[in-house]
Amino acid sequence: MANITKKVSWSSRGDDRGERTPLLNGAEEAKYNKQDIVRSRPKEIPHNEKLLSLKYESLDYDNSENQLFLEEERRMSHMSFRCLEITRWVICGLIGIFTGLIACMIDIAVENLAGVKYFAVKENIEKFTELGGLSISLILWAVLNSAFVMVGAITVACFEPIAAGSGIPQIKCYLNGVKIPRVVRLKTLAIKVFGVICSVAGGLAVGKEGPMIHSGAVVAAGVSQGRSTSLKKDFKIFEYFRRDTEKRDFVSAGAAAGVSAAFGAPVGGVLFSLEEGASFWNQMLTWRIFFASMISTFTLNFFLSIYHGKPGQLSSPGLINFGRFDGDSVQYNLYEIPLFIIMGALGGMLGALFNVINYWLTIFRIRYVHRPCLQVMEAMLVAAVTATVSFAMIYFSNDCQPLGQDSTEEYPLQLFCADGEYNSMATAFFNTPERSVRSLFHNPPGTYNPITLGLFTLAYFFLAVWTYGLTVSAGVFIPSLLIGAAWGRLFGILLSYIASSQSIWADPGKYALIGAAAQLGGIVRMTLSLTVILVEATGNVTYGFPIMLVLMTAKIVGDYFIEGLYDIHIKLQSVPFLHWEAPPTSHWLTAREVMSSPVTCFNRVEKVGRIVDVLSNTSTIHNGFPVVVDTTDNDDEPGKICGLILRSQLIVLLKHKVFVERASSRLSQRRLQLKDFRDAYPRFPPIQSIHVSQDERECMMDLTEFMNPTPYTVPQETSLPRVFKLFRALGLRHLVVVDNENRVVGLVTRKDLARYHVGKDGLEELHLAQT
Amino acid sequence: MDLLTKFRFVIACLFAEYAVTFIPVANCSIYPSEMSGDSASKLPSAAAIPVAQASTLGSFYSLSLQSTFPEDLEVDEYCVELLRVYRQRYVTFANCLVTYARPVKICQNCYTGFNSLDDIYKNISSDQLGPGNVTCHDSLMRSDRMMLLFTLYNNLQDIWTSAKCSKCLTEHQEALMNDTVYFMATLNQSLSCFEQYQNHTELCKDCKASYKRLNELYGRMEKNQTLCIDLEDAMNMTQQLWSKTYYCLLPREETVPVIAVSSFMLFLPVIFYLSSFLHSEQKKRKLIHPKRAKSSSSLMNIQDKFS
Repeated sequence: MANITKKVSWSSRGDDRGERTPLLNGAEEAKYNKQDIVRSRPKEIPHNEKLLSLKYESLDYDNSENQLFLEEERRMSHMSFRCLEITRWVICGLIGIFTGLIACMIDIAVENLAGVKYFAVKENIEKFTELGGLSISLILWAVLNSAFVMVGAITVACFEPIAAGSGIPQIKCYLNGVKIPRVVRLKTLAIKVFGVICSVAGGLAVGKEGPMIHSGAVVAAGVSQGRSTSLKKDFKIFEYFRRDTEKRDFVSAGAAAGVSAAFGAPVGGVLFSLEEGASFWNQMLTWRIFFASMISTFTLNFFLSIYHGKPGQLSSPGLINFGRFDGDSVQYNLYEIPLFIIMGALGGMLGALFNVINYWLTIFRIRYVHRPCLQVMEAMLVAAVTATVSFAMIYFSNDCQPLGQDSTEEYPLQLFCADGEYNSMATAFFNTPERSVRSLFHNPPGTYNPITLGLFTLAYFFLAVWTYGLTVSAGVFIPSLLIGAAWGRLFGILLSYIASSQSIWADPGKYALIGAAAQLGGIVRMTLSLTVILVEATGNVTYGFPIMLVLMTAKIVGDYFIEGLYDIHIKLQSVPFLHWEAPPTSHWLTAREVMSSPVTCFNRVEKVGRIVDVLSNTSTIHNGFPVVVDTTDNDDEPGKICGLILRSQLIVLLKHKVFVERASSRLSQRRLQLKDFRDAYPRFPPIQSIHVSQDERECMMDLTEFMNPTPYTVPQETSLPRVFKLFRALGLRHLVVVDNENRVVGLVTRKDLARYHVGKDGLEELHLAQT
Repeated sequence: MDLLTKFRFVIACLFAEYAVTFIPVANCSIYPSEMSGDSASKLPSAAAIPVAQASTLGSFYSLSLQSTFPEDLEVDEYCVELLRVYRQRYVTFANCLVTYARPVKICQNCYTGFNSLDDIYKNISSDQLGPGNVTCHDSLMRSDRMMLLFTLYNNLQDIWTSAKCSKCLTEHQEALMNDTVYFMATLNQSLSCFEQYQNHTELCKDCKASYKRLNELYGRMEKNQTLCIDLEDAMNMTQQLWSKTYYCLLPREETVPVIAVSSFMLFLPVIFYLSSFLHSEQKKRKLIHPKRAKSSSSLMNIQDKFS
C-alpha cells in the first residue's frame, strides 16, 4: 500500500512534499544537496481555513507517573487525600462566587454606562426634534458609541488580542485539550471584562453573555492555582492542583459557572461543560461543576438583589432575564408543532447565512485587517454605522404606539409621534439588546407592526454579522436571540393575520421565543446545553419540547450548509481541534502514515549538551521526547523505548542542574521533588533563559527518575480511528509508535491527527503553518 | 353610629325573619331611592321598602327555603344594621364611580364615598365587640365561601388603588391636593385657548406656550409621582386633541441632512475596507512541512490512494 502511494506521488505530482520533509529534521539534512534546500524554503500562502497553526500545543492531561510522583503518593496519608477532596469543593465554591461577582459587576457597569449614554442621547434628540438639527443628535450618538467602542477595542487590540470575541471558541479548544496561549490569564480576564462593558455600552450588536463563560474559565484557572503569575503573587495554597489535569477540571467548572451566571441556567452550564469537554468527566466532577454553577447564579442573584434595593429577594438569576412566560401565553397546541419545525428550519437557514457571511468576513479580516490600529478603526466604524442605521430606522419609522402604563420602555423616544405615544422602532434599537429581547418576548400583541419588525430583523442581522469577529470582546448569543425574536414575532403576527379567529395564535411572544431559539441554534449549533439553557432562562419547562425540536431542526438544516459559528472560528484560527470521532473513511490510514518520523529521542542517561541543543533548536519545537535504552551502535537504528519526558521537565531539570556528576554533592542538597515542577507551572522558562556553562555541557543527566516510565504506545499498523480514540479519551499529548521490537519509529501528536478532515471530495489534509 | 343604634330596634323587628334571605332582593329594589341618599339619615324609609317587598315575595321563597334558622345561627341585629349601612355606602360609591367613569373624574368626586365605605368596612372587619357581645366580622364576612362583602369591597379598593387616587388627595383623602387643583387650572387654560381658534395652524402656534407649560407641569408631577387617573386621563385627552384633532405635530423637516449624514457614515466603511484591501499587505502564512516517515502520504495522494 505504502509503496503504491509513493509511486503515485512520485509520478503524478512532481512537487513531492514527502521528499522535502526530512530537511527540517536536521538529522538527514546532509544527504540532500543545496538545490533541495533552496527548494524547500517555506512556501507562503494567504491565510485560509485549511491550516494548522504551530503556536498551539496540547495540554498534558496524561499524568506522568514517574518516581517522584510515586514517592509523593506514598508520603501522602489517607487524610490528606480527604483534604484534597474538600479543597476541590472549596475551590469550586470560590469559582462560583467570583464568577457571580464578575457577572454582577459587568451587569451594573453596563446598565449605568448605557443608562448615561441613552439618557444623554434622548435628551439631545428631544431637544433637537423641536428645534431642528436632528443630524447633530445622530452624530452625537455615533460619536458616543464610537468612543466607548474605541476604548474597548484599544485595550483588546493592543494589550490582549486573545480577549477578542466571545471566548467560547477558545474555551472550547481549552476543554478539548489545546493550550491556547494566554487564554486563562488574569490580564485576559481584566481586559475581557473591561472590553465587554465598553462594547455593550457602545451600542454594538453584541451581548455580554458569551464573555462570561470565558471569564468564568479564567477565574477557575486562577483560583485553582492559588496564585497569579501576572501579579507575581503566590498564596502558597492549592499547590497540588498546579498541573493541567487538575486545572482542566476546574476550568470546566468555571465555564459552567459562567454560563450559569450569564443565563441563570445552572444545569445548562453543567451540560455546556460536558458537551464541550465531555471526554473527561466523571460523576463527582459533574457534581462539583454543578455546585460551582449553583453558587455562581446564587451569588449573582444575591448581589443584584442588593443592588436593586431588595436584599434577599432571589428572583433574578441571570444576566439576561427572559422574564416569565406564564398565563395563557405559554400554552401551545399539537397543531403548532409543525409550525415550530418550520421556524426551526428557517432559523437553520438564516443561521447558515449568518455563518457564511461571517466566514468570508473573518477571512478578510485575518488577511487584511490585522494591524491593531486598523482593528480599532474597524470597530469604531461598526459602532458608528450601528448608531447611524439605528437612527435612520427610528427617524423614518412611522410606527407609533401609545405609552403603556407599566412603561416597559426604559427610554421611550417620541420623535414625530403624537404626544403620549412613542416610536416603536426605538424600543428595538434605542435600548440595550437584552431589553429589546425581553420586550419582543413580552410586550402585548400589537406593540410592533410587521414592517417595523421586518426592517429591524434585516438591519440587525447584517449589523450582527458584521460585528461578530471584531476586535472587541463581545458575544453572539444576544444578537442571535434578538434577530430570532424579531422574525419570530413577525411570524407570529403574520400567523394571527391568517387565522384571526383562533386566539391561541394571537400571542406573538411565544413565537418570538421559538424564533430566538431557532436563530441561536442555527448560528451556534449547540444542542443539549442550549435547549436546557433556554428552558432555564425562560423558567418554563412547558417549552422544553418545542425548543428541542426547533434546535434539532435548526442544526440539521444548518449543518447541511456550513458548520456552526464557533467551529468556523476555531478552524480559522488554525487550532488543532479534535472532534468526537476520527473522520469517517479513515480506517485505512495507519499510525505509520500519520506519525511524525524520525523522532528525536534521548538516551536514559543523556549528555547535557545534546539536551540543550535539541531544546534550543528553533526550527523544531518538540515538547515530548521518547527516552530510549542507551544504544551503543550507530545512530540510524532507533532505540527501544523506556519512557517519555517532556520539555517542561527537562527545563526544570536543567534549571536545577540535576546532573550525574553532581550526584555526590546533591546528597547534601535537597532532592528534587514534584513541587519544583509545579512551581514552574504553567509558564516554564524558555530554554534561552537557562544558562549552561561549557563544563556543564559535558555532564550527563539521568532521566530515569523523572521520565514517565510507561507512556502509551501503539504498533505501526494501528488505524487512525484507534489512535484518535486513544487521544480523545485519554487526553494524550504524545503517542509513541513502536515497531514489533519496541523500537521508537514515530510519534503521533495532536496536530498529526487534527490535520485529517473530511472536505468536499473525501479526506483532506491540512497544512501546518507558522502563524 | 348614634343614629344606627337608635333604629336598631325597628330594623331588628322588620328584618328578623328575612334578613339573610332577602337582602339581595331588597337591595335591587332600593336602587332608585338610594340614588340621592347619603348615609344614615334616610335609614328608616330605606328600611321600610324592603319589608313591603319582602312580604310580597315571601310566599315564593318560603317554598324553597325555610327562612328561619335556629336562634344561635341568626345574624345579630347589630350586624344586620352594619350590613345595611355597608350596602348603602357601597351603592353610593359604585354609583359615583360609574357616573364619573368617562371622562375619568373619580378621584375628584368620589373620595368622600370611598372614605365612608372604607370606614364601614373597617368597622365590620374589626374584631371589636358590638353591643350584643358579638363581632360581625365572622358572621358577615366569613360565613360562606363567597365572602361577598369582602370580595365586593376588595374589587372597589383595587379600582381605587390602581387609579392612584391617593396621589391626588391629601393625606387622609379629605381634599384635593393643591398640585392637583393647580394642574386642573393649567389644563383649563390650555383648553380655553384651544377653544378660541378655529384655524388649526394658528392654534398650534398660539396655544403652544400654554400647552407646553402644561406638558412640563405634567412631566414634573410624573416625576414626583403625584398623578392620579383623573390627571392622566385629562392629560391624555388634551394630548390627543393637540396631536390628533388639531394635528399640531412636529414637522419632519430634516430628512435631507439626516440622509446626508447617514450616507456619509455608511460610506466610511466602504472606504475603510477598500483601502485596507488595497494598501494593507496581505497576511501570509509560512507553510511548514512536517517530518514524515519515508512512506508518508501527502494530502495530494490520499485521493490517489483511494482510487
